[in-house]
Amino acid sequence: MTTQSKNLTREEADAFGRELDALRQEVIADLGERDVEHIRQIIRTANLSEAAGRVLLHFGFGPVSFVLGTSALGLSKILENMEIGHNIMHGQYDWTRDPALNSQRYEWDNVCTGDDWRHSHNYEHHTFTNILGKDRDIGYGFLRVAPEQPWKPVHLTQPIVATFLALLFQWGVGAHDLRIDELFAGKQTPAQFGKRARPFVTKAGWQLFKDYAFFPALALANAPRVALGNLLANGTRNLWTYAVIFCGHFPEGVRVYTEAETRDESRGQWYVRQLNGSANIEGGRWLHVLTGHLSHQIEHHLFPDIPGARYPEMAPRVREICAHYGQAYNTGSFRHQLSSVIGRVARLSLPGPKPAAKAMRAAPAEAATPLTYRAAA
Amino acid sequence: MDSMQDRGLAWRSGGSIVARRLLLDRQAEFWMGELDPVRSLGEIRARVVEVVEETDDTKTFVLRPNAAWQGHRAGQFTPVDVEVNGVRVRRCYSISSPPGEALVSITVKRVPGGRVSTWLHEHTRRGDILRLGAAAGDFVLPAATPEKLLLLSGGSGITPVMSMLRDLAARDAMHDVAFVHHARSRADVIFDEELTELAARHAGLRLVLCLDDEPSAPRGFEEARFANLVPDFAERSTFLCGPGPLMERAERLWESVGASDLLERESFAPAIAPTLVVSSAEGVQVRLARSDRAVAVKGQGTLLEQLELAGERPAHGCRIGICHSCKCRKQSGTVQNLVTGEVSSEPDQEIQLCISVPRSDLELDL
Repeated sequence: MTTQSKNLTREEADAFGRELDALRQEVIADLGERDVEHIRQIIRTANLSEAAGRVLLHFGFGPVSFVLGTSALGLSKILENMEIGHNIMHGQYDWTRDPALNSQRYEWDNVCTGDDWRHSHNYEHHTFTNILGKDRDIGYGFLRVAPEQPWKPVHLTQPIVATFLALLFQWGVGAHDLRIDELFAGKQTPAQFGKRARPFVTKAGWQLFKDYAFFPALALANAPRVALGNLLANGTRNLWTYAVIFCGHFPEGVRVYTEAETRDESRGQWYVRQLNGSANIEGGRWLHVLTGHLSHQIEHHLFPDIPGARYPEMAPRVREICAHYGQAYNTGSFRHQLSSVIGRVARLSLPGPKPAAKAMRAAPAEAATPLTYRAAA
Repeated sequence: MDSMQDRGLAWRSGGSIVARRLLLDRQAEFWMGELDPVRSLGEIRARVVEVVEETDDTKTFVLRPNAAWQGHRAGQFTPVDVEVNGVRVRRCYSISSPPGEALVSITVKRVPGGRVSTWLHEHTRRGDILRLGAAAGDFVLPAATPEKLLLLSGGSGITPVMSMLRDLAARDAMHDVAFVHHARSRADVIFDEELTELAARHAGLRLVLCLDDEPSAPRGFEEARFANLVPDFAERSTFLCGPGPLMERAERLWESVGASDLLERESFAPAIAPTLVVSSAEGVQVRLARSDRAVAVKGQGTLLEQLELAGERPAHGCRIGICHSCKCRKQSGTVQNLVTGEVSSEPDQEIQLCISVPRSDLELDL
């Protein structure tokens, strides 16, 4: 697992990419009823689980119905954010042409607006994955998660900061695209910031009203119980998504890239970077569903717009292709990956270590596929 | 990147849109559908209340639409969405029932190799739900019923004129109507019984059937026979719908007697326009429907690059086909996806500008 990926020449990377493209084509050609049925089944489960959770919280009394109600509500939020919202917004179901599954119109149960997410995640993070200075998801601009990031004294606090981020993760995600750091650095004017923040503020207000005013008010005397249940359900979802996402990009063995390394990158090299910038979590079907199949972070980064439920069946093929090209396939149990991440966040709060020496990418050869598509004449 | 950001801001949604998408489009729509699958906040859905076998290859689906249905005028069509192996596909079908009734009928001929007509014939049963679009089309009876009418049809082209005939019958406005229909044989005449019955009941209706299998009869539309049957055709307000050859010959006949302005026509264009595959080097016209501009696109490059070269600034992101920010609806025309090689010719398909090249003139919802 700690074995390093072999450095590929541009031609090798392109051949690697062509094999992945062929796999991608094969799965796309096979998409059909079972994929639609899967996502509709999950949507139904999430909605029924939410209804059950609310009924238990609103009309129940005593601790048993409180725990059950909160769990059901938390489960529905996890399913909705991960397997449903995240995946639909990636365009994984656009081929169905069902407006309810349309990537550009979907709005999820999270303080982050769908539009901000589509920009900061689908575009920035998935295009510039793990490029220092371009992928704003590397430590979200305030955590040091790779030794290549220069150490600053403020990183001493990061075990505490990371814990707060875990508890309030949806707020971190929601504010991510507002680029608050650029406001302080003078790179965006307060007016620009205000304009950028307005949809987020509206949506956050809406979410707060829904969870902590509207539903508690409906419950009359049970209002405090309902408000607390909503808070715990949101918190559970926050912890879970934080853990899954940190395990996807920050365990040992995942590497970061410099802008110089990725200049004039070909499609094949983009694939190589996606692979080496991601890590998987091993587990059963329900672990995969609850993570929105981000447990297959590698497959997700290679094929972000293929339905997540297809990743488990693609994974063995991806591993074979990786083995053939001498590429490491970073995977491990949830416990293993999570402890690796926690250890890394703690270790990197202190100065050092020296980044592991890695050979630079081989010099670009000619006649390789450029990253931007050119029309065939 | 900065200009990209500003453009990004322009299409960011306001708060009310967020609430609508979250609460109405998603949750309210789900629970309404759970309670009763025909109910919807926005979609026109209809329950199939009866399936009538009209002929060997034609079925009528009698539908009860939900409250979103705004009605239709005699002669109009409705878009019908069905889900074939997980993919929603849309076809337009003429409505055969008269306006003003709670039930709406579409009459569908099974087209060999036709995805939607085959699916409707094989899978749609009583009780199923279909999704419709608003009725549309200019092939309609004028508000003031013309004194002398000619309804001329062939094959499944009878469906829109049948709606007109039923409308005239229901309004008791059958003053002087010639109804000339072409079919391969008597067994292929859709609505045969009802036509006979209507002709018996209304003195103002003259029903003429031209059948290919009659002894010494010409096949399809034939000018001399037709002029014999309806000598005053050039004086009649005429509604024409049928297969291509019939329509062409009829149009030429009307032209030759200088009566084209009395001829209204409806053609059932094939769902997939004959693919005009041009190499993009030849140049095509791209019409941007929302901004009402036309752009001439010539040379190589993706649609996104071409539009940018022409000074347009469509929303986009990664430029490599992964983030879907540049997705837009292609209303008509053919494009090719450079990643998959897939050619898209059907109208109203969503395409990614950054990995699509034009293969014909296009109309985009931009």
